[in-house]
Amino acid sequence: MTWSLNEIESLSRKAARGAGLSWGLAEEAGKAARWLSAAALPGPRVLADLLTRNDGRDYETLCPHDEEEGTWVARGGTLCPLISGATLCDQADQLAQGRAIRLGRTASPMLLLPYLDAAAQITGCEITISWDGLTVACGPEAACLGPACNGPLDTDITESVTIRPESLTDGMPLPRALRGDMPPETAQRLAAFAQRTYAPETEESRLSGAGAGLTDND
Amino acid sequence: MKLPDITAVPPRDPNVVMRLDRLGSFHQSRLSFMRILLRRLEAERWTFDRPVFDIDTRGTGRAVYTAHGPDRSYSLVAFANDLPPEKRSDRVIATEWDATFTLFDGIPTTDDLDRLQDNVPRQEAGRISERELSLSRANRSVRLWDHVVDALAAGRQPDRDKVAEVGYLMRTTAVYGSGKFGAADREVTAGRPEFQAPFQVEMLSVFLTRAFVMDLVEHMARSRAPDTAVPLDPDLRRRFGIGNSTGLGMAPFLLTHPALINSWIAAREAALARIRALPQAAPHDVAIFRRFARRARLHVDDWHSEHPVQIAKIDALRADMDAVLDKLEAADLTSNRPWDRLWLWAEDALTLEGQELMASLLMEPYPHLVDELATCMGADEAATWRIDGAMTCTDLRALTEDVYGWALAIDWTDPAAQARVWYTSEAKLEPRLGDRFNEPVEPYEQPLCPGRDAARMYTDLIASDEATVAGFLMRHPQHRHIVRRAQIAGRLPYAEIRDNTIDASVKPIDMLRMKLSFFGASHFDPRSDRWVRINMYQHAPFPHELGARSGDDWAYPFLTEAAE
Repeated sequence: MTWSLNEIESLSRKAARGAGLSWGLAEEAGKAARWLSAAALPGPRVLADLLTRNDGRDYETLCPHDEEEGTWVARGGTLCPLISGATLCDQADQLAQGRAIRLGRTASPMLLLPYLDAAAQITGCEITISWDGLTVACGPEAACLGPACNGPLDTDITESVTIRPESLTDGMPLPRALRGDMPPETAQRLAAFAQRTYAPETEESRLSGAGAGLTDND
Repeated sequence: MKLPDITAVPPRDPNVVMRLDRLGSFHQSRLSFMRILLRRLEAERWTFDRPVFDIDTRGTGRAVYTAHGPDRSYSLVAFANDLPPEKRSDRVIATEWDATFTLFDGIPTTDDLDRLQDNVPRQEAGRISERELSLSRANRSVRLWDHVVDALAAGRQPDRDKVAEVGYLMRTTAVYGSGKFGAADREVTAGRPEFQAPFQVEMLSVFLTRAFVMDLVEHMARSRAPDTAVPLDPDLRRRFGIGNSTGLGMAPFLLTHPALINSWIAAREAALARIRALPQAAPHDVAIFRRFARRARLHVDDWHSEHPVQIAKIDALRADMDAVLDKLEAADLTSNRPWDRLWLWAEDALTLEGQELMASLLMEPYPHLVDELATCMGADEAATWRIDGAMTCTDLRALTEDVYGWALAIDWTDPAAQARVWYTSEAKLEPRLGDRFNEPVEPYEQPLCPGRDAARMYTDLIASDEATVAGFLMRHPQHRHIVRRAQIAGRLPYAEIRDNTIDASVKPIDMLRMKLSFFGASHFDPRSDRWVRINMYQHAPFPHELGARSGDDWAYPFLTEAAE
């Protein structure tokens, strides 16, 4: 069974909210899972792993702090890619102006890709991101996987991520599919987080729904 | 044809247009999605057939209605059910319906139909695929259904007054599209010319559903009394639309698709501004306008509601239309920017219902100024969605004051100002509106209250010493969604509803009415403040009549010869 990208985005957004992210960050997490699914990457699973890992942790411990010029670290030890990704995208203009940024220890760095792709789309500039010997270039055209990439993109943790305003001379474009894949186990984990955003059913609540109490047999 | 200088009359101010009471007074127009669809089907000479109609005497079985366009075909796959009355509910929490539907991308094989038969009747509990574009269901209007089957079986036509009173034989409830329950995403079809305008998949599905329902009722009469049954008289047949019952589920859409809503309203406002700017009107255009005004008056007479608020609005609209017809008797409408003069008169003389009906009517004589705007009604939502982090906090402050000035003026400590909570129930994920102070639902609040959220954001913004939006949002991630909205509304003037969506007095039906009017619906009949019934495609030609009858001119009742 395949999923529509709309379903993947919607479930991921609710799951991110259920896991405690603000609505705005959750909206972007939904877009991120969608983008990765369309690129045939396991976005929903990596998101589910990240939400599980960070469940109950404070924003303040996960968000980037510019400890020394150009290097971001998290006070809790490991950066959340959803927060760092949003922040990178917010600073797209600085990346376009030539600023390089290094991220310290970061969870699920693959989740940064959609945000950098958005930054590249906004500015029209190419941006490359590297970790653990992998390089991905995001640009106004399709995102490309660098030539020497043998390791997995879906690593749990990396000690360092580098983001530079430069292009790749050679690379393999990531696909842009119109359908996504999500293992049932991933869907269940995301649904469990999403469930936290739903109010428990009560008789009072049911009766206040649209059309409640009126017959439809007319 | 030279277009008039639209700078001569600017489009209306979003602070005037985007108020809930005005949006809740919108009417269908030349830019409604049903009319856009039927104009295309007629112009491109689409053809229609019914390759499958396998329905038994109890009314259960399946049918396929296929529409063939220049490049592609689409098929409505219908499953008819024999539903016990106690299961007939139009709420999302229902589990069975009289009929269920999907719009298939192409022509389905028997294997496709078998697969769909296992899933479509279960609706949300089933699963469809990228070959399907929509999923929907409908229930009978029991009183009219039984009357029509009885009459036709006995060889008689049904009673015209009873037909007029209800107006349809089946009511759809949810019509799901855009990737819901496994269906194809909007992106799959957005590049096809026939689906470039919004909601064309859904409107095509409903158009074919109406044809199926009328065939089904005639089939049931014939099954009961093969020797005496007659088909419906074609003129009477067109008086049946398809009903729809819409609840709170539709309301969040208006807030979650700001760029799209802007496109709809901007197109309508551009049309109005173009027409108001005309320096003069040709006599035959004036004659068209007068005739449509008389037809609109008839429409008001045909519009019934039991809801006290809507009854008062219809009564006032009737008086409005009488005033308009009086005004037209005497007015010189040929020179000196006649439509602008008429519009300015309407702003003073008519209620909101009357003003917005006037806006729709003014478009009728001018297809060459209006219809092309249909191509601007879609939206590339991604293009305006990302936050501009480089914006200065000073600029964000000015933007917030501009877009949300109305919200900054509200005293949010007054319990009435945030009496309601939009939330989602775990029961079939039904969207609901709760009472903040008397129900334990606040922790589940959805971000559907931009005014309150903008006011909260503004308070932190004026206390912040950050220079840019990026810095501000780093410290205040809870404001991220509302900053996004503010920036979208800064780029797209009609993107935001400029009214309090959680006030004690909020009427969700105003939000539903705005969206349904763009669909092309009429006969808005609120059943409460959060649930409305409507009629779709009433008086429209059936698929086999397109070409012989106009695909565009059907949205108002026709004048009798005497009235012409």
